[in-house]
Amino acid sequence: MTLTKEELEKRVSILERKALREKKARILAENQLEKYSLNIYTANQSLERALASSQQKQLKLEYLSQTSSDVASEISLVEMISNMVKLTGNFCSANCGCFIVTKNGKEVNGNLTYGWHADENYQETGEFKAFIKGTLPLADLTILEAWIVSDIKHPQNSEPQGSLFYTNFELATDEIGWLIFINQNNEFDNKTRTVLNTSRQHFISGIRRRLTEVEILKRNTQFENSIDKLEKARRQLIQSEKMASLGQLAAGVAHEINNPIAFISSNMEVLKDYLADYKKLNEELKENFDQNSLLEASVYEAICKKIDLSYIEEDSDDLLQSNIEGLERVKEIINNLKCFSHSGDDILLEISLNTCILAALRITGNLFKYEHKVVNKITDSCPLILGNTGQLQQVFVNLFVNAAHAMESSGELTIDFTHEEEGITVHVSDSGKGMDESTLKKLFTPFFTTKPVGKGTGLGLSVSYAILEAHGAKITVDSKLNVGTTFNILFPVIS
Amino acid sequence: MKGIVFVKFSEFIEELWGEEFWDTLLNEANLESEGVYTTVGTYDDEELFTLIGLVVEKQNISSKEAQFAFGKWIFKELYNAAPPGAHDFKDVFEFLHAVQNYIHVEVKKLNPDALLPEFDFLSESATTLSFHYQSPRKLCFFCEGIVYGLAEHTKQKVQVSQSECEHEGDGRCVIEVVKI
Repeated sequence: MTLTKEELEKRVSILERKALREKKARILAENQLEKYSLNIYTANQSLERALASSQQKQLKLEYLSQTSSDVASEISLVEMISNMVKLTGNFCSANCGCFIVTKNGKEVNGNLTYGWHADENYQETGEFKAFIKGTLPLADLTILEAWIVSDIKHPQNSEPQGSLFYTNFELATDEIGWLIFINQNNEFDNKTRTVLNTSRQHFISGIRRRLTEVEILKRNTQFENSIDKLEKARRQLIQSEKMASLGQLAAGVAHEINNPIAFISSNMEVLKDYLADYKKLNEELKENFDQNSLLEASVYEAICKKIDLSYIEEDSDDLLQSNIEGLERVKEIINNLKCFSHSGDDILLEISLNTCILAALRITGNLFKYEHKVVNKITDSCPLILGNTGQLQQVFVNLFVNAAHAMESSGELTIDFTHEEEGITVHVSDSGKGMDESTLKKLFTPFFTTKPVGKGTGLGLSVSYAILEAHGAKITVDSKLNVGTTFNILFPVIS
Repeated sequence: MKGIVFVKFSEFIEELWGEEFWDTLLNEANLESEGVYTTVGTYDDEELFTLIGLVVEKQNISSKEAQFAFGKWIFKELYNAAPPGAHDFKDVFEFLHAVQNYIHVEVKKLNPDALLPEFDFLSESATTLSFHYQSPRKLCFFCEGIVYGLAEHTKQKVQVSQSECEHEGDGRCVIEVVKI
C-alpha cells in the first residue's frame, strides 16, 4: 500500500505526537520512580530509627524486668545486690561499678562489698576504690533521692573523661549502701535516668523487704522465747497459787491432824498408866510367889481385881484400835496433801472425777463445820475423763474453799453431775451469799478477790480457768445474791 | 483513577480504531494531562469519561456498549497485572469473591489511595450469583464487561445482567451472573 505525501506527512505527525507523549510519559514515570525511591529511602530511615528506638526500649524493659524479678524473687540480699550491680553496669555500658556499705560515714568491709568490671579479665588494683573514696561524699549521711551523675575530669587539663554515677540508700540503722559506676564513654539521656531511678525504687523496696524479713525472723524468735517464758510462768503461777491455797488450808488441815494426834497422845498417856499397872501387878505377883513358893488363885484374882485388869485389857484394845485409826486418818490427810502440792506435769490421763473430788473434799473437809452439810452425789458411775488429777484437785479445792467462804456459818455444799451431749457437767453448788453482776463479770480476772487481805490471792479462779481450758473443759457460773452459786464444769468425754 | 486504566484504554482504542483515531480523540479532548499516561500515575476520572464520550460520539455507539467492550477487553490485561495469588482461580464466582477478598486487598497494599469498587454479595446458588456493585464512578457496564472477559478466561459461558441499575433510575446497581 502506497501512501501519498500528504498521508505520509499526517502519519509522521501522528507518530511524532505519539513519540512525544511516550517521552513525556517516560519522564513522568521516571520522576514518579524517583519519588517512590525517595519515599522508600525516607521510610527506611524512619524504620531504622524506630528499630533503634525500640531496641533501646527493649533494653530498658529487659533491665527493668530483670531487676524487678530479682527484687520479687526469694534470692538473698547479697545475691540481689550483686545482680543489681551487674545488670545496671551492663545496661549503662559502664566500665566498672561497685557496691559498698558505710557506717557513720566510714566504709565497712563486710560480705556486702561487691565489685564489678565490664572486662572480665580486669584485675582489681584498688585504683577504682581509691578514686571513689576521694570523689564521693561517703562521709555525708544524707540519703539521696535519685541517681547522681557527675563528670569526671582529667586531673591536669580538666578535660572530661566520662561520668561517675551513683546513688545511696538506707540499709540498716546507721548503715548506708552505695551503688557506684564509672562510664568513660556514654552520656546519660533523660530516659535512661528515668529507667535507672525506677529500678532504684524497686531495688530499695527489695532491700527493705529483705531487711524486714530478717527483722520479722528475729521478732519471731523473741516471740517464741516469750511464749516459752510465759508457759513457765504459767506453770509457776499454778503451783504458787496451789501453795497459797494450801497455806489458807493449813490451819484446817492442822486441826484435822491435831485431833487424832491429841487423842492418840491422851490414849498413849492412858496406855502408859496401864503399863505401869501391869508392872505393879507383875511385881506383886513375883513378891507373893517368892514368899510362898506358890501362887494361890484367890490371891491372883485379888491382885488382878485391885488394878482392874480386865478393864485395862479391854480398854487397851480400844485405845490401840483408836490410835491405829487416828494414825490412818493422819496418813490419809498427808497423802492427799502430798498429791495436791505435787507440782506434777501437764500430762492428761484417764481419771475418775469421783476420786479426784473425794480427795479435794478430804483436804477441805475441815472448812465445813457442824452446821454445814456436804452432799456429794458423785459416784463411780460418773464416766472417766481425760485429765490431770493434781490439777483438777486444785480446781475443786478452790471451788470448795470458795463455797465454804460463801457460807460462813451454815449452808449446804452439793456436788452433782449430769450427762450432756458434749460430755459430762459437774455442778458444784453452795447455798451461800451469792454474787452480784459486777462480781460475776470479774470472776475469772486475775487478782480479783472479794475476800479480806490474807484470805485470798485473787488468782484461784483465774488459775482454775486456765487449768480447765487446758483440759478442753468449759466453766460457767449461775449465781443469785443471798441464794447461792453453782459452778458448772463441762468436761469432754473420752472419744 | 489509576494510570493503568488510561494506558490500557489507549491500547484498546488503538487496537480497535488505530493510532490516528486515538490521536484525534486526544486533540479534541484537550485534556489536562495531554494524554501523557503512565501506569504509575493517577489521573482525573473526568478524562476517561471525556474520552469515552468522544468515542461514543464518533463511532456512533452507546456509552454502555463502549464501557462493556472496554471492560471485556481489559480483563486479560488486568489479569496479567494482578498479584501472584490471583491466578489460581478456575471459576467465575470463585474469582469474583477473590476480587473482593484478595485482589483488592493486595492492590490497596501497593496503592493505598486507589479507589476500588466494592462488591456486596447478595445471593449465590450453583449457577447464579448476584452482587451489589458500589462505586462512586458508576462504571457498572464496564464491570459487566470485565465479568464477560473473566468468563472467557475461565472458559465458562455466562450471562450478565443488571436487575437494578442507577443509570435506569434505580437506587443501586445489582449485577447478576448466571452460568449457562
